[in-house]
Amino acid sequence: MTAMAPDLSGANAYERDALAPEAARSLASDAWQRIVHSKLSMLCLIIVVIYFLVGLASLLPVFGRKINEPLNDGAPYQEPRLFEQRADGSKHLLSPAHWLGTEFQGRSVFWRVLYGSRIALLITVCASAMSLGIGTVLGVISGYFGGWVDDLITWLYSTISSVPWLLLVIAMAYAIQGRTTAGEGHPWLRLLGGTFTVILSLGLTDWVSLCRLMRGEVLKLRDRDFVSAARAMGLGHWRILFRHILPNTTHLIIITFSLGAVSYVQVEVVLAFLGLGITDKPSWGKMIDDAKLELLRGVWWQVTAATVAIFVLCLALNILGDALRDALDPKLRGVD
Amino acid sequence: MTPLLELKNLSVAFDTERGAIVPVRDVSLSIFPGQTVALVGESGCGKSVTALSILRLIPQPPGRIAGGEVLLEGRDLLTRSEREMRSVRGKDIAMIFQEPMTSLNPVYTIGDQIVEAVMLHQRVGSREAYKIAEQSLNDVGIADPHRRIHEYPHQMSGGMRQRVMIAMALSCQPKLLIADEPTTALDVTIQAQILELLRKLQRERGMSILLITHDLGVVAENADVVGIMYASRIVEFAKVEDLFDRPQHPYTEGLFRSVPRLGAYAQRLVTIPGMVPAPTRFPSGCKFHPRCPRTRKAAEALAADSAQAGAATVAVTDSSGETFRVLQKCATVEPDLREVQKHHWGACHLIEGFDKATATTPRLEHRREVVAATVQGDSLPETAIPAKAESEVGR
Repeated sequence: MTAMAPDLSGANAYERDALAPEAARSLASDAWQRIVHSKLSMLCLIIVVIYFLVGLASLLPVFGRKINEPLNDGAPYQEPRLFEQRADGSKHLLSPAHWLGTEFQGRSVFWRVLYGSRIALLITVCASAMSLGIGTVLGVISGYFGGWVDDLITWLYSTISSVPWLLLVIAMAYAIQGRTTAGEGHPWLRLLGGTFTVILSLGLTDWVSLCRLMRGEVLKLRDRDFVSAARAMGLGHWRILFRHILPNTTHLIIITFSLGAVSYVQVEVVLAFLGLGITDKPSWGKMIDDAKLELLRGVWWQVTAATVAIFVLCLALNILGDALRDALDPKLRGVD
Repeated sequence: MTPLLELKNLSVAFDTERGAIVPVRDVSLSIFPGQTVALVGESGCGKSVTALSILRLIPQPPGRIAGGEVLLEGRDLLTRSEREMRSVRGKDIAMIFQEPMTSLNPVYTIGDQIVEAVMLHQRVGSREAYKIAEQSLNDVGIADPHRRIHEYPHQMSGGMRQRVMIAMALSCQPKLLIADEPTTALDVTIQAQILELLRKLQRERGMSILLITHDLGVVAENADVVGIMYASRIVEFAKVEDLFDRPQHPYTEGLFRSVPRLGAYAQRLVTIPGMVPAPTRFPSGCKFHPRCPRTRKAAEALAADSAQAGAATVAVTDSSGETFRVLQKCATVEPDLREVQKHHWGACHLIEGFDKATATTPRLEHRREVVAATVQGDSLPETAIPAKAESEVGR
């Protein structure tokens, strides 16, 4: 008898599922879907990931050897080469590791460009963490509490933003430089060397834009009913601020990060060009700086390699940043 | 029977650059267990500020509680620390808001939000809290709570979200629910459902409700006791039947007259002339006198009667530019809220039979009286206005 009985519970469950609305997607998974479904932003994401992987790989000891290994031992200055001139007069490519040529000390441009991505990403990530951290905390506190705290923070960022950013970064780098490289500074300041100069001078100056953005957003969110409702439920200020208001602003932080990263990569080049920041490792800026005199003699490959590396990363980050903004900020889609 | 919540001469001030404005002045009322008290008034009359200051949620500064007491079960909320207030909010007194579309945090599922409230006030683990949340969603009539608890606010309609808000507010079994225009943003059929739900939950739990609204229909259906607010003060306070049968204050009369009646023939809807004054420009004396038909009529009658009418009346220009005369007393002396009939309080100089009394004793002490309300057979909730004390706010 039991075998004959129709399985009604199963049928009901099936019908219920058929009628059920589409399962909920969180903002993060929704944004992820949007990025995955766009070929261009997916390509950019892959490029950025590759840069990161290369940056990670450069932690291997083999990198440290390769970047300083001259093709021919000996003279402190060597003619930069792209081809090898054999005795019979024929031109040949250098060994695979030197396909991008050598620079004035005979070291492989290829390895040095790869190593440059490590420095660029280290600077980007650390400086972003620093500036996003400062900007977010000051911005939300300023927007939420108002009063004299707001006055103080607004005054601070207005003062900083009244100086042109690049000049400020350069001034900052000059101020820090001596303490990180010249040996008079605290030991842990010297640990990261010139990289630390760049990180500090970027991180301590670039929080202004995010701070202003966050302040405005929090000012808006703070008067939303869900904040009043949370207050009426008995939640404290800090909990409301960091558990209810901050998650509503994550899109701003991510977008600021992805667009800010581009400028960090570029400013590192500017600093290196001015002889600030990284002096002992092959950053892209250092490479361009090294090659600027050779360029007049027709040695184009070192500048080109570093520039292309910067160009591709910046383009990928820019497009990805735009895609992230479209995906994460529903207001830009015209749907609130 | 002691009231659950008593407001005694509550005054709230906001300090602005042009001096303090007082959106709530001398508001006194009592809410007994199981009772629904409605506060009715136009936008800007101070009813929402009253509700917010019970929970001390007005922004401070610029806001401040300028005087009075808020007694929850006999203990003053105004003297408590912020930490103690946080344990009152949500646990003893919960609040729901007008706009369900924005009252829920869009980045969390509704389950997370209810669980957060539950875990804040009850010593339960997250598994237990989810069970409580699911149960409270079930209680407010959300079908399939097991699934819906994982949904985001944007997946729900306005009526559903208001149900979720109610579920969240009631998940900690509060003794008092403050409902600040809970149905204003909803369409009429949903309004009826939500109010029916509130009534049902109130019956089941013996909870009190402070209902803030401007909808007289909602008041008639739901409230036991009604306070009419006008320009920062309660101008009339009575049981709902008394108020609807025998409104005493000219403003209340005007409100009732401006409600369209089914089946009644009228060319135009009657309105109250003029506008609600802004809190920055409250008129002197009775705040209703520039719009009050009663004092106008009295002034006209006086002018027809005697030659010295000029001394007893003053000219007033209303917002439409029309000039007329009102009684001087109405324009200069603010009437106190006094018991004009048994269990029926009104604040007007010209309530019949009280002209002489007010002429001799301008500030009557309010007696503390308890009225049987008529909701539930023999276990009667009660109504009272607390004894009047001097306010710190100057007149």
